[in-house]
Amino acid sequence: MNRLSYWSSLPLAVLVVFTAPILIVILSLFGGFSENWFHIFDYLIFDYVKSSLILVLGVASIVLAVGTVTAWIVTTYNFPGKRLFEWALILPLAIPPYILAYTFTGLFDPFGDANNLARSLLGMDSNFVLFPNVRNIYGAIIVFGFTLYPYVYLVSRSAFINLSRSMQESARLLGLSQFQVFYKLSLPLIRPAVIGGLMLVVMETLSDFGAVDHFAIQTFTTGIFRTWYGLYDLQTAMQLASLLLLVIVIFYILERSNRGNELYSSSNSTFSPNIEQNLYGINALLAFSLCFIPIFIGFLLPIIELSIWAYEVNLKFFDANFINTFTNTIGLSLVTGLVCAALALLINFSERYKPLFVINRLSSLLSVGYAVPGLILAVGIVQLFVYLDTTVFSSLDVLLTGSLFGLILAYVIKTYALANSSIESGYERISNSLDDSSKILGTVGWSLLRKIHIPLLKTSILTSILLVMSDVIKELPATLILRPFNFETLAVSAYVYASEERMIQAAAPAIAIVMTGLIPIFFLSKMIRSSRPVKNDE
Amino acid sequence: MKNLYFILILALFGQVSSANEVNVYTSRHYDSDPGLYQEFTNETGVKVNIISGKGSALLERIKAEGKNSPADIFFTVDAGNLWKVQKENLLQSITSTKVLDSVPVNLKGPDNQWTAIAKRARAIFYNPLMVEETEINNLNYEDLADSKWKNRIVIRSSNNMYNQSLVASLIANLGETQTESWAKKLVSNFARKPQGNDRSQIMAVANGEADIAIANSYYIGIMLSGLAGEEQLNAAKKVKMLFPNQDNRGVHINISGAGILKYAPNVENANLFLEFLLSKKAQKYMVEKSYEYPILKGILPSKEIASFGLDFVEDQISVKKFGELNPNAVRLMDRAGWK
Repeated sequence: MNRLSYWSSLPLAVLVVFTAPILIVILSLFGGFSENWFHIFDYLIFDYVKSSLILVLGVASIVLAVGTVTAWIVTTYNFPGKRLFEWALILPLAIPPYILAYTFTGLFDPFGDANNLARSLLGMDSNFVLFPNVRNIYGAIIVFGFTLYPYVYLVSRSAFINLSRSMQESARLLGLSQFQVFYKLSLPLIRPAVIGGLMLVVMETLSDFGAVDHFAIQTFTTGIFRTWYGLYDLQTAMQLASLLLLVIVIFYILERSNRGNELYSSSNSTFSPNIEQNLYGINALLAFSLCFIPIFIGFLLPIIELSIWAYEVNLKFFDANFINTFTNTIGLSLVTGLVCAALALLINFSERYKPLFVINRLSSLLSVGYAVPGLILAVGIVQLFVYLDTTVFSSLDVLLTGSLFGLILAYVIKTYALANSSIESGYERISNSLDDSSKILGTVGWSLLRKIHIPLLKTSILTSILLVMSDVIKELPATLILRPFNFETLAVSAYVYASEERMIQAAAPAIAIVMTGLIPIFFLSKMIRSSRPVKNDE
Repeated sequence: MKNLYFILILALFGQVSSANEVNVYTSRHYDSDPGLYQEFTNETGVKVNIISGKGSALLERIKAEGKNSPADIFFTVDAGNLWKVQKENLLQSITSTKVLDSVPVNLKGPDNQWTAIAKRARAIFYNPLMVEETEINNLNYEDLADSKWKNRIVIRSSNNMYNQSLVASLIANLGETQTESWAKKLVSNFARKPQGNDRSQIMAVANGEADIAIANSYYIGIMLSGLAGEEQLNAAKKVKMLFPNQDNRGVHINISGAGILKYAPNVENANLFLEFLLSKKAQKYMVEKSYEYPILKGILPSKEIASFGLDFVEDQISVKKFGELNPNAVRLMDRAGWK
């Protein structure tokens, strides 16, 4: 019995730590409303809601169209470049929206590189502007759409692969065209998976600060920042944050409940994978272009612009200062990765070892931090630490406030879900009978974890660490607020330079963020390549 | 045993204060400032620890840290920011007579709780090719409400403290009603939705997107220095800086300023630090590197800035007004539809 409570208390303890900062933010709703709150309701809230809504609808349309169409093309057809596109379509995941936003203004501002190039190619004078202004909500929709569509692409692709070929063949025999098969049969079948991916995109869009700030769009996050930074009114800012949190929780619940609805996959023995149709000529070109364009906008364009900036300063920015920032960032993300992976491993183990319904429900709540905007977490942590510093730790000569501890806590709360999903799915592949056999042979508790599970989960653990690291490297708002004295990270220095329109200096940290972001993408793409259906044609 | 581990971890991550140092919380984001701090260390042997961030984030942190706060100095731009820290009752009076004697009274906070370190003017930038000389003769901020400027003006968003202080100064000078109707007309003259920082407003004028920009004076200095790149240098050469309201109250002046925090652990070093910032050496350094106007008499601004004239009339209103009227200014701008 003692053992049992020992294992079960871990998820509970972690849950308390994870939710405390969020609860502090929500508690602000009970603290009375100031003049600013009513002012915001009279003059600003309508703009915040409107632009958040337009943003979400626009981004959702783009990610749905791009994500499902490209996934369908690469799973249904065979055409030149297909093998490459299958994994290259996720490359934009390495570009955080704010970096795409920075490069977009560098390219498409009236005197940006793209407009300058257009002028010199067409021989026009300086009044000529080919590309329209991107610093508006439409620009932001494109930025989010083309950095976030891989979420939908990934789930759609694996869902399409799992669709039965015989079902599609029957549809074809019954007279549907290939395109009709796509939108009348396949698309409805993969809907649950797609909605899950879409909800992630919506949550990311609503929590973003860097990109909307750069484009001067009034959304909830910029509104929260403005109320705090402009009006110096943290209380009202937290109240606004609670509203945003409410909206995000709704999407979060939608996403979780969708995950419950398993894909309508074919489970009968006649399942056979799709045979890819070969495309030639204009059709092949069309398929090629449809896959190329999203990669071009979401990955190649920013890479080109970053390279131009890097070239302009002659790579001079890789100085001691930069190295310092770089090691800070990698160190932080590694620590977070290890902590998250260890926690996820222990909690999943405890769930499996001593399943308890209540505990299992609780630990699914642990992933909620992923949906909470970094800014809101940071505010909550600052408040929490102040409380602890002035009560529990007041007699000690140490301060939690302003220490790396707070930053790492924010990261762990925010990225735990990534580590958990990887380790959870790793555990799903380990059969329960293996545990039973081990128990019979006397391997229980720690040694079961150490001798049996960890060796089997090696890949999952590594993946979880990498996923967490790549997310931490990109994180901006929480880092901006919680970082200690004399401490910079790549994302912060990119932001600081970009907010002063010193784009060329922002290039070095931005490139480093993208490069490190590519590492987990590389592993993901390896998984994609190995998840291809068995080929039996040719 | 477990507790020991916990304390070890805290010690690793926690901030432990040490002796001969001064902790500066700054929202100034000039690359040149670390050089300034280094100079202070060379002179006095006192180590300078920096944390930089947005003013309000720093304020929240200081508030949060309470009596345990390691912060000694709050160094920021815009009097509005300093006033907000003072209002939270987080500053103490500066005692150094050296500091207090070198700064004019309209550039200090109530009870001497903060002081100006450098000055900047919120000036008007125009494109001489697009704007007639007669249009800008004796120009006042008030004149920018005239419909002849329709679609010709760029300025950054109302989120920005510099604009909030400008509007606060107008409220102080003209009254709230008149300022509000001015702001509404000004907004209707905008050439584009407010975006970017002051530098991008000047760029917009250079590029012909607009004819007039309102921006802080030092930006043109940085751009003209060539340090910000060829493109900005060329742009800066195309625009002229003008000081409005010259035959009445003068151009709106704001400050970079600093104060000593109430719970500062190193008060003596903090006073030393302020004395240093107002020394000839530091003032010279700042005007050359950050292109602000000096506080000390006898120091000349950088040659880039001096080229636009030295004998201009400055609005003598006390900068502490900007803080007092800040909430009014922000709400007024929202009502006027200034995004």
